[in-house]
Amino acid sequence: MPPDQLSQTLSALADPTRRSILARLSIGDATVSELAEPYDMSLAAVSKHLKVLEGAGLISRSRESQWRPCHLEAEPLAAVSEWLEDYRRFWDRSLDSLADYLKTMKTTNPKPSRRSPKSSSRKLKK
Amino acid sequence: MKSDTGKMVIEAERADEATIIMTRMFDAPIEKVWECFTRPEHVAVWFGGVGFTNRIQEMDVRPGGKWRQVMIPPSGQEYQLDFVYVEVKKPTRLVWQTSDFGHRKAGPPANRTEVTLAAQGDKTRWRMVATFQSLAERDFAKSMGYTNTLTQGCEKFNELVKTL
Repeated sequence: MPPDQLSQTLSALADPTRRSILARLSIGDATVSELAEPYDMSLAAVSKHLKVLEGAGLISRSRESQWRPCHLEAEPLAAVSEWLEDYRRFWDRSLDSLADYLKTMKTTNPKPSRRSPKSSSRKLKK
Repeated sequence: MKSDTGKMVIEAERADEATIIMTRMFDAPIEKVWECFTRPEHVAVWFGGVGFTNRIQEMDVRPGGKWRQVMIPPSGQEYQLDFVYVEVKKPTRLVWQTSDFGHRKAGPPANRTEVTLAAQGDKTRWRMVATFQSLAERDFAKSMGYTNTLTQGCEKFNELVKTL
């Protein structure tokens, strides 16, 4: 997923009403008026939220049915969790590398201590 | 070779931000680990992992100071990284955030990273809390059953520590 689309997904999800609409749609498809029911909100206002969700690819609307029920699209959400997973992997790799590097430091540039009695002024190398 | 414990938890309680928590034990004294995070010649070596290279442009380790660098993964594509230090308490606490933290913009989510170090004998316990803005969908993702993807607990025990 390109970063801009990731941002679009995140920004669409930043609103509690929109999240709640998505939560409702996770149970099953629903029409605009069904979605508007729990809120003290005009149909127009709910439609506006739906437009944002649709723009972010989080929902789709049937073209055929007169009532145009809204349908949840899970793919952008999966992309968000994938992004988080990538971030975790990034740090996992970095820390593996750091652990190895610390070992190198220990042998090439020890501080005076019990386990590494030799002192050295050699430059650190990987 | 895995010699440390890695763990990620995404806390579900916080409604408006996503948090990744990772912990590790390093077989090195706290001053060394601190140095590795705050001196450009060290960061350049390990940041990103094996196969990555880094050009550190600026590393002004004090609150408000900049950390700017170009990160080059094995693919060769260069990434400009821009961070600002928020909190600096040698050798126990280092907090930085992406320079766009608090502003909405295109691109990857802004984040703040808090690293806390604790000496445990000759070893150092490292803990990172990374907070992402605009990831408020977690509650929703949870209700959708994505928590298995979002919550990764990797129990990789520190074999090095065991052999010491």
